[in-house]
Amino acid sequence: MAAPKIIVVGGGLAGLAAVIKIAEAGGTVDLFSIVPVKRSHSVCAQGGINAAKNLKGEGDTTDKHFDDTIYGGDFLANQTPVKAMCEAAPGIIDLLDRMGVPFNRTPEGLLDFRRFGGTLYNRTAFAGATTGQQLLYALDEQVRRHESTGHVNKYEGWEFLSAVLDSKGVARGITALNLRTMELRSFAADAIIIATGGIGAIFGKSTNSVVCTGSAQSAIFQQGAYYANGEFIQVHPTAIPGEDKLRLMSESARGEGGRVWVPRTVGDKRPFKQIPESDRFYFLEEWYPKYGNLVPRDIATRAIHKVVYEHHLGIDGQPMVYLDLTHIDRATLNRKLEGILEIYEKFVGDDPRDVPMKIFPGMHYTMGGLWVDFNQMTNIPGIFAAGECEYQYHGANRLGANSLVSCIFGGFRSGPNAMAYARSLPAAEGDGGHAAELARQAEINNNLMTNDGTENPFKLWRELGETMSKHATVVRYNKGLKQADEKIVELQERFKQVNLSDKSQWANTSFAFARQLGNMLELSRVVVGGALLRDESRGAHYKPDFPERNDEQFLKTTKASYTGSADGPRFEYEAVDIQFIKPRPRRYDATK
Amino acid sequence: MAPKTVQLEIKRQASPDAPAVWEKFELEWRPGMNVISAMMEIATNPVTADGQATTPITYDSNCLEEICGSCAMRINGKARMACSSLVENLEQPIRIEPLSKFPLVRDLQVDRSVLFENLMRVKAWVPVDGTYDLGSGPRVFPQEQEANYPLSNCISCTCCMEVCPQFNEDTGFVGAATIAQVKLFNNHPTGKVFKEDRLRALAGDGGVQECGFAQNCVEVCPKQIPLTNAISDVSRDVTIQKVKDFLRG
Amino acid sequence: MATVQHPSTPSLRPGVQPLRAGQGTSFLWRKLHSLLGIVPIGAFLVEHLLSNFEALKGAAAYGTQVRFLNSLPLVRGLEWAFIFLPILYHGVYGVYIWLRGKSNIVYYPWTGNWMYLAQRYTGLIAIVYIGYHVATQRFLGVSLPENPAYAFAKVHNELTNPLILAFYVIAMIAVCWHFAYGIWLFAAKWGITPGATARVRFGYACLVLGIVLAGIGLTSIYAFVGPGSAAQAAAVQLH
Repeated sequence: MAAPKIIVVGGGLAGLAAVIKIAEAGGTVDLFSIVPVKRSHSVCAQGGINAAKNLKGEGDTTDKHFDDTIYGGDFLANQTPVKAMCEAAPGIIDLLDRMGVPFNRTPEGLLDFRRFGGTLYNRTAFAGATTGQQLLYALDEQVRRHESTGHVNKYEGWEFLSAVLDSKGVARGITALNLRTMELRSFAADAIIIATGGIGAIFGKSTNSVVCTGSAQSAIFQQGAYYANGEFIQVHPTAIPGEDKLRLMSESARGEGGRVWVPRTVGDKRPFKQIPESDRFYFLEEWYPKYGNLVPRDIATRAIHKVVYEHHLGIDGQPMVYLDLTHIDRATLNRKLEGILEIYEKFVGDDPRDVPMKIFPGMHYTMGGLWVDFNQMTNIPGIFAAGECEYQYHGANRLGANSLVSCIFGGFRSGPNAMAYARSLPAAEGDGGHAAELARQAEINNNLMTNDGTENPFKLWRELGETMSKHATVVRYNKGLKQADEKIVELQERFKQVNLSDKSQWANTSFAFARQLGNMLELSRVVVGGALLRDESRGAHYKPDFPERNDEQFLKTTKASYTGSADGPRFEYEAVDIQFIKPRPRRYDATK
Repeated sequence: MAPKTVQLEIKRQASPDAPAVWEKFELEWRPGMNVISAMMEIATNPVTADGQATTPITYDSNCLEEICGSCAMRINGKARMACSSLVENLEQPIRIEPLSKFPLVRDLQVDRSVLFENLMRVKAWVPVDGTYDLGSGPRVFPQEQEANYPLSNCISCTCCMEVCPQFNEDTGFVGAATIAQVKLFNNHPTGKVFKEDRLRALAGDGGVQECGFAQNCVEVCPKQIPLTNAISDVSRDVTIQKVKDFLRG
Repeated sequence: MATVQHPSTPSLRPGVQPLRAGQGTSFLWRKLHSLLGIVPIGAFLVEHLLSNFEALKGAAAYGTQVRFLNSLPLVRGLEWAFIFLPILYHGVYGVYIWLRGKSNIVYYPWTGNWMYLAQRYTGLIAIVYIGYHVATQRFLGVSLPENPAYAFAKVHNELTNPLILAFYVIAMIAVCWHFAYGIWLFAAKWGITPGATARVRFGYACLVLGIVLAGIGLTSIYAFVGPGSAAQAAAVQLH
């Protein structure tokens, strides 16, 4: 039998990890990516990657990493896969080290580790302030190596449109659009791995990259896949507000001693230097003395939100607080944080070594995603998912530096599992549904291209982003969520009237964007609908009207499925695997 | 007072064989605006300064944090990243053109795949035995890490190639980025197993010898990678390698 | 694979080709060009400038120096092997290098880029000058190898033309510039000065060397045209 042919969609950490495993096992891979894979969003991860290597003599163990992750995720994550991830993490770090990732080192030449949010251990390996970039490059290089031996074919500049399903609903390939020639084509495969990252674009401005639209997940969802825990959206406490996007200021800024504060009195207009220590309100340190500035992200985000909107202490009355590194000496800052400090300097114009940074929370990470089983396969046979686009590892809130490990771990599992699945896959009947799916996509494309309405897709997107950011991020009210859902339905109606100002058949970015937008709108309803139904507060999902966690009713995975009707997605709930750690209250203001 | 505006002149070309035209845009100024946000603004309202309907601009972008390397273009004549080009630091009208050394796709979008091909040809990777758990990696002292880390920061934006007078279709010069990666991987305790192969590759046509040491690469590099140091080091190693090869027969 | 019918699409121009890893011989030719610029060409330049400096001592001393040089064993062979052919190769290949580079000083007016451009123009001046100089002083007119004593007069006579004098002065500066920066480039490109600080320091050293060489050269020119030079030239009679 010929070697299985696997399609991997997405060339970030998870996708590349899967590709390497498949190539190593003798399979051949077609790797699809909108951008050259080396430009994937994984490059944006700054702070580090967690693994309980216990190289600091603190008695850290993988069990403690597991507990921190489950606790940080407010017990919503299924425990079996999380446990496996935490146990695999030290080996993953070693592998990355062998691949040449320039991790920071101790004087003895061993890996250095720093502290990150949500833990009391130095558990985070890091490569300066560009860990994600370094990790992605290491995997990119390995994939290039397999490319040179013919195991990998890259389709960079192709956008995934849909899965090709046969008459039994089994995946047999994909359809994709060449973003340069606008050619629509279908590709056969024995299994597909979706590794398309987060969905930041549905919030308009976020810390995510331009390609993080969730379009692929949404397309699969509309073809019958469950989308799980969509309502769990991480808002990073420290982002730099910008015109085009929100730029992340890594948690490592706090990990290295950065302090968050505002002036104690409302309307204090003094420049920061003239505000004495006694007039500064280090609210995280006061409210959470044990973890201080390193409380988990959802806690820090809500605290900043509160200090700005309830205490009205934002700097100059603006929604911003100080993140201060100026008490740390320049040499240390340059050695450990240079990369992120340069970002601030470049995009804001102030030197954070001299002036405290002004930051505010921004949408950052998608905890929810395509529902997968413990083998990383969605409910559509033959479609696997790995990385941020699936829901498995972070529960209701992700801990800092856990995303890189979950991406690589998920990729490493999905690759071999897809191979095993593909080896036992019976041959397709007929053409496996290729012609039908291609015709369906051609019709969608044709309708969009010839549509004669009045709506500009970029404007619709802006409205979507504003609505989602307002109602579905830090603080959620059922009334607002209902308004948001109505707004999305309105936008969906208006989307039918979309008129592309560019109707050419060559590198037409408006066309590609409009297709993404259609999918983004569908997924937005999953996020909003899930949030509306979850009347509790858990992890990143916070409803002031329901401030407590409600395990009895909601210690459950939300599973959304597509109905195609105007009522929106259908929601059902699945019990969470809690066999190892019994849920307990999650409190960072006291010992857990 | 009239609202502050931003004037842009953008070189448009609908396809590789279509004629190039300059289009002018006038946008409302907002604090913190960069070239990308200006082009996003144009996409929501694709109308030129003289009121003509046009199409949104085609350009590469992704992270907008100057780490993915996508949005390199020529802004007021100079190659740089559009995301980190703050409007208030630029002379107006801001003239925006595609990179000139790479095949044009459309508008500001060019094909820079030659860099990735070059990286493949110099085996820019560490040949690990496999991805299974083989224990920890080789010891690397902090001093070595600090020397190598800057090289590993290359974002493949190709600005160094664009500004190099020697990088063109006549020379087929490989460019500074790839040479720096050769240094990086030759420095790695395991990566150096291919050191000789990489050095021989770089002695091929279009190799390190084509460098004219104009040093534009190191001036323009948005990541301040010590590219000229890398070229110098690698050049020496290539020469020594070629002499060794000659003497060994 | 199934595909949807699509109108004919434009094609991209080929662009810069990737590295021809390990292929071709350009490395050898380029390195030869670079090396010849130092040895023997640079070495000969220094020797020549120092020899010319003898002119300061007068026509007779200069004649003696010329006679000495022409008395070296196998001098005609040495002249071709270590002077004419290397210079010819360095010049021709240099022009080839120039033609394949595309200066962009308009957009990137940085020091290194100016020096890159200057190295090409000074090289061009040097080629033209050396061609002229060798033709007029070595091959045309009175043959100096046979009449070394006449050397001073021959140079003096030529430099009495103010245009030619100006040409000599410009060329002297250009040649010294080209050589001094050439040494700097050689050190940078052969990895002798791989650090930025080393390159800056060595840059000053090369600047001093260039100025000293140009000073010697211009002083020598002055010796051929300054006060008393006419009388000295007249004193040397052709046999």
